[in-house]
Amino acid sequence: MKKALLLLFILISVKSGSLLAQSESDALLGVWESGSGKARVKIDKVSDKFFGKIVWLKEPNNEEGKPKVDKNNPEEKLRTAPLLGYRMLKDFTYKGEKTWEDGTIYDPENGSTYSCTIKMTDDNTLEVRGFIGVSLFGRTDVWKRIQLKKK
Amino acid sequence: MKQFGWLFFAFLSTFSGMAQEADTVEDYSMYGEAELAGGAKRFCTSKVFDLSPNKLISVGYDFQGGYRGDFGNQGTIQSQSTNIQSNSGLRLAANVPVISKTNILLNLGANYWENFYSFSEANLTHPLAQSLAKYGLRTIGLSFTLFKPINEKKFFLVNGSFDLNGNYSFSNFQSLNSTKISGVAVYGWKKHDRLMYGFGAARTFRVGETNYLPVFLYNYTFPSRKWGVEALLPARAALRRTFSARTLGFFGYELEGNSYLVRNLSNEFPNTFNSVELRRSELRIRFTFEQSIKDFIWLSLQAGLRYNYRFNVDEKEFFRGFGDEAYLFENSLANSLYVNFSINLVSP
Repeated sequence: MKKALLLLFILISVKSGSLLAQSESDALLGVWESGSGKARVKIDKVSDKFFGKIVWLKEPNNEEGKPKVDKNNPEEKLRTAPLLGYRMLKDFTYKGEKTWEDGTIYDPENGSTYSCTIKMTDDNTLEVRGFIGVSLFGRTDVWKRIQLKKK
Repeated sequence: MKQFGWLFFAFLSTFSGMAQEADTVEDYSMYGEAELAGGAKRFCTSKVFDLSPNKLISVGYDFQGGYRGDFGNQGTIQSQSTNIQSNSGLRLAANVPVISKTNILLNLGANYWENFYSFSEANLTHPLAQSLAKYGLRTIGLSFTLFKPINEKKFFLVNGSFDLNGNYSFSNFQSLNSTKISGVAVYGWKKHDRLMYGFGAARTFRVGETNYLPVFLYNYTFPSRKWGVEALLPARAALRRTFSARTLGFFGYELEGNSYLVRNLSNEFPNTFNSVELRRSELRIRFTFEQSIKDFIWLSLQAGLRYNYRFNVDEKEFFRGFGDEAYLFENSLANSLYVNFSINLVSP
């Protein structure tokens, strides 16, 4: 019985630690607005990785009045994909200290994909840094959490 | 044993709940009705749609074709007319964002320009021509650009540059006291994602010598997104044609210039002159073509007319203002065609 209690204690400790880490890592989940205010991105978790897709565009239609597509994508077959719903953040993993790394960010404005890290500076603010090769050659965009209005 | 089995089942079952659901068809309309959490403020950004990309690193070469140079007389210095076969040199620049937040942006930059002159005649008698042929001109500069949005519609823009210009070499550097400081401050409005403009003032050496000018910033993209204007008057202006997000064309001008400390390094000048100030200013009317050749690497090709505005010499650095002080001697350069090409690493 003592062994069972000891094991239960260990499992609870491991689990509570893991839940704490999960709670920290899952703080990234939600809807965020980019610094320019031109897009909102919903971040979800699939397995242990985080992905973000565009769920709102300030200007959702092109000059012809049709929904915007990913016209600048370097892959021709993807240029007809709608921007709404497009996964622009991919493969982020939580590294502790409110930082998610090893991901990429796609910029539909120019069709480029950059290495990216995300740092949460407070509950409602992300510093999203896209960079080329090394972090020095990059730019940080500050994203703000979006609160959906209740209908 | 049963106890262990139960415990493991309980342990594993908690993790099974973490599995995420696959994407399902979603109603995106709900995301339009939203506000920033925690009462955060929105700020305007420093760009309009399709503005040419910021160049983090630029490695370029500038070449001016042949032209006539008339160097003026002064005292014992005799005038000389001569042909300049070409002048050319490297142009290196870096411009890196060091603070990049919604409410403040700060870029730091550095640049190195050189300009070497090749004369047709071997027998140069004019001291300035001798100095240019032997040492050329160099500029090493540091700069910063601060963009401070006030709210979603208004912003401040401040830029400062610190340039060391002269006929120095790296083994015979010149005093940092000769650094030329220039800057511009603009108060502006961002009316929408395709238009920003502002008014301000500049201290500039673009006309070759210290000058204080009003400036007008104007960045506009037409509704079609195919054309745009990028201007900071009177320094530069360009009409932009956006062929695609990775291919841009420009037609416009830039007023380019600075004041150079030309030292009497090997007694080209009479002994009465330890150094002089060369006031160089030129108007470049040009076509520019920029294209991404691989991901973030952009090629820039530029060709146009270089119109000489000023190539005169003062005895020392001073602010001429509205005065009519004569130059130590006046020179005149005929106009020439020029090309400039660069490879650039552009910013995300």
